[in-house]
Amino acid sequence: MLKLHNMYKVYRTDEVETVALNGVNVEINQGDFIAVMGPSGCGKSTLLNIVGLLDSPSEGDYYFFDENVAGYSEKQRSEIRKKNIGFIFQSFNLIDQLNVAENIELALLYHDMPSAERKQRVADVMDRMGIAHRAKHMPGQLSGGQQQRVAVARAVVGNQPLILADEPTGNLDSAHGQEVMELLRTLNAEGTTIVMVTHSPAHADYARRTVNLFDGHVVTDALRAA
Amino acid sequence: MFWNNLKIALRNLRKNKLFAFINIAGLALGMTIYVLGGLIVKYEKNHDAFFANSDRIYTVGSIAAPELNVGIDQLNATFSAVGPIIESELTDVEVVARTLRREFLVTQGDNSFYQTILFSDPALLEIFDFDYVGGSADALNDPSSILITETTAIKYFGDTDVVGKVITLDNQHDFYISAVIENVPQNSHFNSSMVLEGQLEILAPIKALGPLRDFDEAGEWNNLSLGNMTYVMLPAGLDGTWLQTQMDGIYDRLLPEDQHEVITAFLIEPLQHANLAFWDTIGMPVITVIQLLSFLVLLIACVNYTNLATAQSLGRSREVGMRKTMGAGQHQLLSQFLLESLVIAAISMVVAIAILEVVIPLLNNASNKAMTLDYTRTLPWLVLTTVLVGLCSGLYPAWLITRASPIAALRDEARKGKKGARMRSVMIGVQFAISAFMLSTVAISYMQNQRVKEASYIFPKSEIYTLARLGIDDIRGRLDTLRNELEALPDVESVAFSSQVPFEQSNSQTGVAAKPGDEAGAVTLMMMRMTPEFLDTYNIPLVAGRNLSRDMANDEFLSDETEVLNVLVNEMALGQLGIASPQEAINQRFYDLDVEDTLREYVIVGVVPTQNILGLFNAEKPWVFFYSARSLRTGSVRIRAGADFMDTVGAVEDVWKRVIPDYPMQGRFLDDVFNDVYKVLKYMNMALGGFAFVALSLAMVGLFGLAAFMAAQRTKEIGVRKVLGASSTQIARLLVWQFSKPVMWALAVALPAAFFASNSYLDFFAERIESPIIILLGTGLISVLLAWSTVAGHAYRIARANPVLALHYE
Repeated sequence: MLKLHNMYKVYRTDEVETVALNGVNVEINQGDFIAVMGPSGCGKSTLLNIVGLLDSPSEGDYYFFDENVAGYSEKQRSEIRKKNIGFIFQSFNLIDQLNVAENIELALLYHDMPSAERKQRVADVMDRMGIAHRAKHMPGQLSGGQQQRVAVARAVVGNQPLILADEPTGNLDSAHGQEVMELLRTLNAEGTTIVMVTHSPAHADYARRTVNLFDGHVVTDALRAA
Repeated sequence: MFWNNLKIALRNLRKNKLFAFINIAGLALGMTIYVLGGLIVKYEKNHDAFFANSDRIYTVGSIAAPELNVGIDQLNATFSAVGPIIESELTDVEVVARTLRREFLVTQGDNSFYQTILFSDPALLEIFDFDYVGGSADALNDPSSILITETTAIKYFGDTDVVGKVITLDNQHDFYISAVIENVPQNSHFNSSMVLEGQLEILAPIKALGPLRDFDEAGEWNNLSLGNMTYVMLPAGLDGTWLQTQMDGIYDRLLPEDQHEVITAFLIEPLQHANLAFWDTIGMPVITVIQLLSFLVLLIACVNYTNLATAQSLGRSREVGMRKTMGAGQHQLLSQFLLESLVIAAISMVVAIAILEVVIPLLNNASNKAMTLDYTRTLPWLVLTTVLVGLCSGLYPAWLITRASPIAALRDEARKGKKGARMRSVMIGVQFAISAFMLSTVAISYMQNQRVKEASYIFPKSEIYTLARLGIDDIRGRLDTLRNELEALPDVESVAFSSQVPFEQSNSQTGVAAKPGDEAGAVTLMMMRMTPEFLDTYNIPLVAGRNLSRDMANDEFLSDETEVLNVLVNEMALGQLGIASPQEAINQRFYDLDVEDTLREYVIVGVVPTQNILGLFNAEKPWVFFYSARSLRTGSVRIRAGADFMDTVGAVEDVWKRVIPDYPMQGRFLDDVFNDVYKVLKYMNMALGGFAFVALSLAMVGLFGLAAFMAAQRTKEIGVRKVLGASSTQIARLLVWQFSKPVMWALAVALPAAFFASNSYLDFFAERIESPIIILLGTGLISVLLAWSTVAGHAYRIARANPVLALHYE
């Protein structure tokens, strides 16, 4: 599904050059549930941003469904992103001025989709996530766990085949964290490919494969025992 | 998408009520001033358009010769002799008509009022299609006919059906009413003069002026007064340029030689310009200034909004990042943010319109105008203004916030970095530059006005009660009695009569020379006809010689045949006549150049100091003072300082009623005479002050909002500095300095610009303030202090906060 080949990402300021990814090679197959782990500053988030087409690599190839997207412009990346990738962030990134249903609908807003269909899909996904009764609530009125559920709903409402989660449980207590992980596991079971950055070995256990990064290198890439 | 964006826009307003209020209040204020300015300009520029022939009507004015030295460059009036010349010389012209303003006591039964009557050629009614309630356009053909407006008819008769009824002028001359017309709308030059009093109420045939005031219908070459108009209506196909060329020819061929020193050309202007001619007369582009200032205020309001919106929008960086992550393109986000600024602009415009609906009637009342916010006509302009304001002021913040990459936006890098910092400084600079520019010009014009006012204190303005309209023969015969009786009042110090009083803008001049008939050595002197009490009444001291007297031979000007006349002159006249000192001047002679039959010899018997009798914008001039019982038009009653002025005025009125019962008294204090012109300067300063106040307030609100934002943005830096030992004062100073830099730059641009701009105001005055640069520096300092005080409170509060909190927050 996705293939990163000999990928580098270098951040340059006037005097300092920081290598965030240093020749990374990773292949992600359809249906994978991958946990990306490693210490702070090892390049996890950079990797996720590039996989998610939020950023472009400095060097190397990135095949997205056999299409090398490494040199694509933001506009081209944006097109691919909205059709194929859903995002979940540690800090939820819900929009304060929109209620739950509207926040979820946001993910469909930039697709050419009739309003009625959008509303239907939002209603369906809220049912699936068990947050239908919160549809009119504003983010500020929800607990962290509930907010992350909304964020997950927003990530899946477009039926994107790939979900990228950047420490999705980082701001949650263990109970709520577990709840979100169960949700991801269910999605993966239904066929969605998931790539998740996490610090938590317990939550990494939900994944079927773990990629460990250190100083921009992939140090291990292993399937977990079932 | 549109509704979704609209919903977010409205929710954002609700969420950030304080910023929403500041934004809307600022824009609404800017829009109010801009729309009001636009309405005023449109109103003033669209006078007289309701006359059917308005686009074919032109006025004949005059360009004043510099040697005339009356402080004006041009006026839209000319000599009354010009009209008949046009009629006989320019056969292609369709109609020519003149109007001459004269004042009469108009009486009907018990109703008596002084009224300005426009004496006009009958053809005036062909040029202007008035609406007739009774009578018709031939109403001025009969020399004993008179045309009045509805209001005038009701004022005298209580009814408009009055054609054929009689009214009397100056208690002697009967006129029958030949027509009644509907009141001429307020937005006509007939009714909207800045300085000429009154409305168009009565029209009378110019022929009637012969018997009334000894006026030759063929016109005169010796009187150039505002309000004496000559109108020309051209046939279709000819235009003002053609007429100007023809009038240039008439100037060269037919203008009497001596008038070339009075006017240098005729000035043809379209009728629509007649209303604004006053500003051309005094050489101030007031309408352009209103247009410019109202636009500048709107510009400040827009910059203010842009600045605050930029600061605010950075707080929505994550939202932008999220939307981009989900596939929103920059153009989609741009339209979202622009819609938000359009919504704010629209709300602001609604608020502005509400304010205008209150302000316009008040302004109309105060200024006797009839402006309206006619939505059917102004709606496209209002909508366009709203859209442009919304788009222009929202574009920069929208572009700034939406251009970031999704990652940068999600990480909120914009808020942490210095993104747009330079642009924000530039915007603060622009705001302060405009405000300081306005403040400086206000300060300079205020100081100049103060100077004019202070200079006026040479005469005891508030102690002199003036009596106008004494120039009627019937009254002149009773002036001695009036003086005697008034001087007998306990609180009256003295009573003088004169041809004009100080500050009255009348330039009566005579040409004289040190040797008889010496045209080459001609000197023009201002003429004051007066009774001997004039000097005492006005505290004018004698520098040398004696005052004129009733008892000395040759002191009084008795008739045009007078050959030797004792006069007083001021010191400036001495210089022009080549006399070295006041002492040497006594018994020196000079000669009249204007008299054709009698060579009059003037003998100087006294010298008074040079005083600015016309005051206001005029230069000091050389004056000659005659004692003459003829040509006396005004009285001056000097009331004892400390007396009860109202009681004394009541006593003066009682005396008047006893001595001159058949004419109402027209009295007012000299202060009011001064204010006739001074009020124009004062109102201009007030209007300018209003603009400056709004501009400066907006700039300060913007600065305050921005200071709040910037302080919050530097929370971490402030925390670190405090941990490292910086004191609150040092931190506050740091923040204040951050805002001082753009303000300083702004002043460097604004003050020189204000210097040049205010020069165009000062140019109007012969005696200017000496130190505009000190005033400019003063206003610059005030601007900086205001900026500091706006920011300082905020900075100090932030600086005093606990550093741990600051770091924790970050």
